Amino acid sequence: MPYHVKMFSYVICQHPSCQKTAVSNYSKDTKTLSTHEYCFEHSPIASQIEEYIYEYIKSNDKIVGLNASGISFQNLDFTNKRFYGCNFYGCTFRNIHSENLRSRMSMFDFSIFSDCNLLGSNLQFTSFAGATFSHILFTNSDLVHNNFCGSHILQSSFDDSDLYNSRFIRARLQNTSFRNCNIKKTMFFEMSQENVSFKLSNTREALFSKEIDYESLF
Amino acid sequence: MKVYFNLSLEGFSNCYVVTNPEEKAAIIIDPGTVTKEILLQIEREQLNLEAVLITHNHESHLKGLATLRKIYTPKIYAADYEVADRETQILKDDGILRIGGLQVGYMSVPGHTPDSMVFKIGKVLFTGDALTASTLGSTTNTYAERMLLAAVHNKILSQHDDTVIMPGHGPPSSVAAEKNFNTSVVVRTVSGLDDKG
Repeated sequence: MPYHVKMFSYVICQHPSCQKTAVSNYSKDTKTLSTHEYCFEHSPIASQIEEYIYEYIKSNDKIVGLNASGISFQNLDFTNKRFYGCNFYGCTFRNIHSENLRSRMSMFDFSIFSDCNLLGSNLQFTSFAGATFSHILFTNSDLVHNNFCGSHILQSSFDDSDLYNSRFIRARLQNTSFRNCNIKKTMFFEMSQENVSFKLSNTREALFSKEIDYESLF
Repeated sequence: MKVYFNLSLEGFSNCYVVTNPEEKAAIIIDPGTVTKEILLQIEREQLNLEAVLITHNHESHLKGLATLRKIYTPKIYAADYEVADRETQILKDDGILRIGGLQVGYMSVPGHTPDSMVFKIGKVLFTGDALTASTLGSTTNTYAERMLLAAVHNKILSQHDDTVIMPGHGPPSSVAAEKNFNTSVVVRTVSGLDDKG
């Protein structure tokens, strides 16, 4: 399982005392991706940067090393998009439609996904730690070696998916289904669940521990 | 900086190849196995394998080192002399190296093993088995566990929240995620063990 990935830039934002990484910038003229001087929050041209990044994603199927941390994505079609080594830390994804979405070594930590249809995705070695998923369809996806730790997943479907070696440690699962999934070596330690179905999944090969009262942790 | 990820099916450990295309330099971290893809990558891009970094002396993290030493002559950095005997560049405590135009930070994080090291390149931490997504590395006694917790707290969780964690096993993570969801770290905070440690 080798992945060849150029990681997103680790140039630090120039705003005093900010330690976040600078967001990517896209030039329509030269059609090249570069690094902006600031993170999205501190960029004086944030709305322009947002437009450039939408444009870059629209015009390219293979997206490598993009840093879009903090940006909101709405009503977009990510069908056949391939993200390699990208940073979507703290992003918002609303009403995204995709089939055959692919991701390797990308970070979606603390992102918010709502009302997205991500059928048949192939996401590997990708982190969604602390992300919120509300009304998300991952049905028939390969979600191997992914980090869903601390995520809050509600009214979503992982049916018919391969979750091999992924981790849902301390996740909150509500009204979510994992029917007919491969959950071999998948870790569900200390998660809380409410109306969750694992019907027809290989639960004997998954790793579960005692449930915890989520609220007691904080 | 480019990072290549390679899953070793023997021991399910993660091997990383970090390259600096401008200097045509490569660094391999934890060569659990050396695959054809890794070698082809180095050869196709005509990279110079400058160094191999070993997070700890466990076979699943260095079994491929023997193969690499037959082909290349990289410097081998580890905290344990036995990794490559006289060829080992011994690392102690914390410090910074300059390898292939990249700044490589190293931090001693004993607990899982006495020789556990964490490497930092850019905004990426290669944590070996000291810290994996939401779990700490296994330890053999409570003293080692406390020592590991203290080191993880002081050296890893003190990094900026969006620092990426590339562990020795399992999926990637970030410092913010570990601060919030790591089963050992959060229990520690809740039960107030900080003061005792």
